[in-house]
Amino acid sequence: MGSVRARGSCTAITIAIAASVLVVRGQTPVERHTIFENLGLPAVDEGLIVDETHAPNTPESRRRASTRAALHATSGRNSGRYVAGRLVVKFRDQATEGERMSAIADASPTARLERRPSYADFDIVRFDPAEDAEAVAAALGRHAQVEYAQASYTGWHTMMVPNDPLYATRQWNLPMINLERAWDLQPQAGSAITVAVLDTGVAYQNATLIETIPAFFDDSGNSYPALGRVTIPYAGATQLMAPGRFVAPYDFIWENAIPLDFDGHGTHVTGTIGQLTNDGIGTAGVAFNVKIMPVKVIDSVWDFLFGSPNEATDELVARGIRYAADNGAQVINMSIGRAGPPNRSFVVEEAIKYAVSKGAFVSIAAGNDFEIGNPLEVIAEIASRVDGAVSVAAVDRAKAHAYYSSTGSWVEMAAPGGSERGFGRDGFVFQQTFDFNFTDTFLMPPSQYIAPRFDVLAYIGYIGTSMATPHITGVAAMIMQQGIKSPAAVEAALEQTAIDLGSSGRDDTFGFGLVDARAAMRGLGLAK
Amino acid sequence: MIRTARARHQGATTEDTDANRGHGSVKKKIRGLSFSSSSSVASVVALFHAAVAISLCIPGLARAQPPDNRRVVTRSDRSGLSLRPFVMGTEQSFHATETFETAFGQAHEPFIGGGLQVVVQDRYYVEIGASRFRRTGERVFRFNDENFRLGLPLTTEVKPLEVTGGYRFHPSPTLIVVPYVGAGFGSYGYTETSPSSDPDENVDARHSGFVLTGGAEVRVHRWVHIAADAQYTHVPGILGLGGFSKAAGENDLGGIAARLKVIVGR
Repeated sequence: MGSVRARGSCTAITIAIAASVLVVRGQTPVERHTIFENLGLPAVDEGLIVDETHAPNTPESRRRASTRAALHATSGRNSGRYVAGRLVVKFRDQATEGERMSAIADASPTARLERRPSYADFDIVRFDPAEDAEAVAAALGRHAQVEYAQASYTGWHTMMVPNDPLYATRQWNLPMINLERAWDLQPQAGSAITVAVLDTGVAYQNATLIETIPAFFDDSGNSYPALGRVTIPYAGATQLMAPGRFVAPYDFIWENAIPLDFDGHGTHVTGTIGQLTNDGIGTAGVAFNVKIMPVKVIDSVWDFLFGSPNEATDELVARGIRYAADNGAQVINMSIGRAGPPNRSFVVEEAIKYAVSKGAFVSIAAGNDFEIGNPLEVIAEIASRVDGAVSVAAVDRAKAHAYYSSTGSWVEMAAPGGSERGFGRDGFVFQQTFDFNFTDTFLMPPSQYIAPRFDVLAYIGYIGTSMATPHITGVAAMIMQQGIKSPAAVEAALEQTAIDLGSSGRDDTFGFGLVDARAAMRGLGLAK
Repeated sequence: MIRTARARHQGATTEDTDANRGHGSVKKKIRGLSFSSSSSVASVVALFHAAVAISLCIPGLARAQPPDNRRVVTRSDRSGLSLRPFVMGTEQSFHATETFETAFGQAHEPFIGGGLQVVVQDRYYVEIGASRFRRTGERVFRFNDENFRLGLPLTTEVKPLEVTGGYRFHPSPTLIVVPYVGAGFGSYGYTETSPSSDPDENVDARHSGFVLTGGAEVRVHRWVHIAADAQYTHVPGILGLGGFSKAAGENDLGGIAARLKVIVGR
């Protein structure tokens, strides 16, 4: 039966691919990036892979990040910290059309207003890429009818760093937050709640990709050959997919409704929030019955090489936040962020406030840069000023500060992010995602470089505040299901019931302390 | 003497009959009141009104009695010491309004109990009473004056043990209604349990408080009296130390109660 189905699937794929080839040959130019949704063989499940891990600041992690940065830099699309020739502006409501045009003209003679993008309360101004975007934004910001203007800052990255029957043997992180007894209180584990995951996308369906992959130079200047037109298998994460699980998916990197994860980070994060649980397979998730809204706002190396039109910027992430809030997300997970300077992001701050005002709780990674200068984490810092949004630091298996977890006034909560130091592979946070030996082929030498495949899944250990954040997100979803609907009240419940770590009271390392899922959900009695 | 004795007897019969008539009309009013847990604040008020009605209306009826009746009342009730067991129903409106409303949906709850009253020379009394209230509501959370019910069962039991003493007024020998006032102290047992709690997370506490009482009693049968009163209790030391009551700034487990007692004895 299985082989018949497999043959049938193969035949269907072959026909589809042949048809696509016939179609694309008749067109000019050829589509670089084509996705056949829900068409593909089931995933290859490799089970637990202990020796493959993602951790902050490992050579592999640095290469992924630098290769992505190098690709963007060589494209000429951005000048390092921000996108060249583009800025974000928000005019005051009473500003007339004439005043807007006048303000733009005063800021730069080459500037023109673009059509307002979807899910934005701000506008995009284009101008000559040779001009300094920060200088133009500053000039525009001085106009009386301008609320704020800022360059289109890049530097966005996932907070991962990457690593379940496996619950008993590998998932130290879930018992640590008293989750088993929280599940006793709420066996339905968040079934009425929608959680938006703003990340690199999610492996939420099977698909077949047809891509044209160009040559490129990596961060070391090595030349990688063009792979031409290739067919790439793509499989949804078997431990995430269930009927009705995914709602309103959207991809702001590709501006379409197919936010497939070409990195693995978003899928891993989503697993911690809502991995299928009690099914006798793999790992468990925190709020394992929530609905997931995959919102892709972070691009990966493969997005770039597949020809994505957008990259992660302040305004793109802001649009993602607004999209999630407008489409019914009650909790938003942002295992993403960027460090300063600049140390403000008006557009993201307004979007977070907007989401909270729409009833969405937001959890944001506090940053992984403790050992590399511990800079201000701009987005996490916003969370610390908004009731209803929290920034999340990471602890290791011994409830101690994870070596990479950024510290500062913005830290509000702590959750298990994992650490290999002192614990080896046992210190990682495991969930199902892609086996990156099959996806991150750009890390191989050019001679061994091949097209990726996104259909080989395994339980991989990641570490980072990216991994800590979905613990808070999952618990927040369960708190909301329990009846605390206001985002600010959810934050208060989390903070008031946290297990105080470090110095007494709130501190810059652990915030109010380690999340206690059961205590946060139990609320209060009359006298105790 | 025989005539006088008959007259006394007749008078006593007439008095009992009239008193029963009066009691009958009061009983109808009282039947209209509910002690069910779902009653509203209105029932507390109504019960209080009933108490006032008893103390105001019955004297009027009593005054209409033939002069012969008076002597029977005064003589029998003033003879020495009497022990009078009673049962009572109470509707209490808690001072901790927000705490009880959030957890149980209402801030007034029924108590059922009983006790023993000792009356000395029909003037002074000492009473010991025990009652109990038990209700299951929900665990709650409060943030910025906004309250959230969490759907997790929470059972609370309050068990007052009160000792009060006071004075019974006899403003006129013609009255069959006896107003009284009293004060005393109580020991208030409080338990709070939840199926989701560990034993050390439950509450089992007892604290003292004080009581003020005022009301009126009417004899409805030679051996049966009905008393209605209002009671004020102040019980610190249990609420306000933790949980929702602390968040709401409420620290008094007491309240204002309307009580109805059925007393057996002379």
